[in-house]
Amino acid sequence: MGARRILVTGASRGLGRAITEHLLAKGDVVYGCSRGQSDLSHENYHHFSVDIGSDESIKTFFFELRRATRSLDALINNAGIASMNAFALTPPATYQQVFNINVQGTYLCSQKALGMLRKSDHGRIINFTTVAVPLQLEGESIYAASKSAVETLTKVIAKEYGNFGITCNAIGPSPIDTSLIKGVPASKIQELVQRQAIKKMATPGDVINVIDFYLQPGSDFITGQVLYLGGVS
Amino acid sequence: MPGVDIQQIIFDALELTNHAREDHRQIVISESTLLFGNDGVLDSMELVGLLISIEEALLDEGIEVTLSDERAMSQSKSPFRSVTTLTNYIQDSINEPAS
Ligand SMILES: NC(=O)c1ccc[n+]([C@@H]2O[C@H](COP(=O)([O-])OP(=O)(O)OC[C@H]3O[C@@H](n4cnc5c(N)ncnc54)[C@H](OP(=O)(O)O)[C@@H]3O)[C@@H](O)[C@H]2O)c1
Repeated sequence: MGARRILVTGASRGLGRAITEHLLAKGDVVYGCSRGQSDLSHENYHHFSVDIGSDESIKTFFFELRRATRSLDALINNAGIASMNAFALTPPATYQQVFNINVQGTYLCSQKALGMLRKSDHGRIINFTTVAVPLQLEGESIYAASKSAVETLTKVIAKEYGNFGITCNAIGPSPIDTSLIKGVPASKIQELVQRQAIKKMATPGDVINVIDFYLQPGSDFITGQVLYLGGVS
Repeated sequence: MPGVDIQQIIFDALELTNHAREDHRQIVISESTLLFGNDGVLDSMELVGLLISIEEALLDEGIEVTLSDERAMSQSKSPFRSVTTLTNYIQDSINEPAS
């Protein structure tokens, strides 16, 4: 088996960066993207500047990506943004931005990658949701709603892409210290962590463990699943 | 686009469809093969697979077209009916891209 070719969106920082470095260390070839540049330099890392919230940008990106590789073994739809606000005060622009990146981005990348993923013997799509969905967190209505949509997409894509031997699953992290949750007050995070079965912050390693599980060839029969960290269900 | 044999690309894509089928369900491939709709040989997911194979083969030739957009769906006569209608539709899509 040659090196796997894996596309990671939102690869410049946070969880996407940790996943990218892990895959590179395992010998995979990683195509990563984010809006800006990446300071990651590795012979098997290829960076693209893309706005996952824009359909035009995604279209151009996949055209360029197709020049770099004809096939992909996995697509990791990690790029995402959160928004904390009282529902009553959330402006339409926030809704648009969150849904464009989290939902439309996941939808379009999963669609555009189909031709390349089909060429893999173990094609994989891994999407990102959050424990805010099952916990129905106050103050995260739009973010949680966008991730509910991602969960439904995951399950339906699993059925349609099952015909092509591609699995589609999601991981729902509990709070992890990245820039995504920088704006959330510590007391709020602690409150959230106390609702988990295992009452502590998760780490990028906890996410990587699930990613490795979904990616391994032995997981050919695991699809349409959503796995939450920390014992949230 | 000179030099690109669209009908051959469709035939090759149908060969791929046949790979995924049992021996007694092989598609007989010819210009008049009925693809989709009444008496068509493909189910809807096979049609998706066929279109993706064709798009990929065209990309290999440096041609980017989307075959399954609203334009295809809104035609009064489906372009996916037969090898001949699909060949014409792809030719038209290459000559006048939708966007
Ligand atoms: N951290 C947590 O506690 C937590 C919990 C549950 C779920 N999650 C999920 O995990 C995923 C990763 O989160 P994270 O904590 O790693 O976030 P992060 O630290 O904010 O990193 C987000 C990454 O996505 C990229 N990105 C953001 N908007 C983008 C856009 N429009 N186009 C392209 N790339 C974009 C960012 O790069 P640029 O800004 O340069 O574009 C960055 O590389 C998200 O889907 C998030 O919802 C995280």
